[in-house]
Amino acid sequence: MNSTTIGTHSRREALNETHVWQVYARRKYEEPLHEIGNVMADDVELAKVYARSIYDEFSWVEMVLIPRESIVTVIAS
Amino acid sequence: MVGTHIDNAALFAVLSSLADNKQAIGRRYAYWCNGAPALEAAVAAAAMTQDEIGHARTLYPLLADFAQAESDPSQVEPMTRTLHYSLAYLDHDFQGWSDFVATNFLLDAALTTFFAAAQNSSYEPLCQRSRKIVQEERIHEMHADGWVRRLARAGGAVRSTLAASLFRLWDETLCWFGPEDDPNMQSLYREGIIDATPDELRRRYLQKIMPTLSSQEIDVPVFFHVDTKCWELRQSLPWNSWDSVARRKSVG
Repeated sequence: MNSTTIGTHSRREALNETHVWQVYARRKYEEPLHEIGNVMADDVELAKVYARSIYDEFSWVEMVLIPRESIVTVIAS
Repeated sequence: MVGTHIDNAALFAVLSSLADNKQAIGRRYAYWCNGAPALEAAVAAAAMTQDEIGHARTLYPLLADFAQAESDPSQVEPMTRTLHYSLAYLDHDFQGWSDFVATNFLLDAALTTFFAAAQNSSYEPLCQRSRKIVQEERIHEMHADGWVRRLARAGGAVRSTLAASLFRLWDETLCWFGPEDDPNMQSLYREGIIDATPDELRRRYLQKIMPTLSSQEIDVPVFFHVDTKCWELRQSLPWNSWDSVARRKSVG
């Protein structure tokens, strides 16, 4: 592996996203929030941008992000 | 429909520049819809491409209402237009993702500064469009700030490549507002089409972008004036290489 390859790898790793955000949304106020997917971003502001642009198939009345690491497992699958 | 057209060369010129820049930004962004560093960023790039092309598509039809368009109606349609009043930076493909980030962070933010100054415009069609564009651009600004921070913090070649992209676009973007005595911008200000002169637009723009650049210690020729509590340019802009008609850097 030459220095150029190492440089490319380290640059790529430096830009790799490591944080997963679970995306929850609802279409009507009378509905509960439900999980619609997830996005990967280390920056919460970028996570918001990504969630809005990826999950734009409906006119949501609410969308929230929850960092995956904050989820506590009660019954493991 | 002779006689119903608006006769305002200054407004026609600035609208042409806004539309051409939005169109060119959209076209350059489009190349990165499947080339961004991550899938999420690629989808966001696609959404931003649609937004930019959409902004251009709401601006071009306004040109047809002007007397200045009568001599050559082909110039009001993006598909037939041969004049290109977009920045020279957008003449060529982006060299990398950092050019995308720099364009969003510097140029698109500059255009948004103009639209923000036109939200109470005496020219109703621009007033409506400006409010909508400013609203849509908030998400672009979040993307721009996030990626500038991200590339800057990565350090090494990533950071220096970002700095190079910002440097290449810096002067031309700041020039876009025109010199303080720019006849077109001054005319728009006097007529209440925008609420600021070129220097005031540039001042507002620097207050918007500098907190992010300063927090990442990215070196640009700007200093914080402690008395006025404003960011100010450290050196004059290269007006001798500025094409005031096309509102872009002179080529050649």
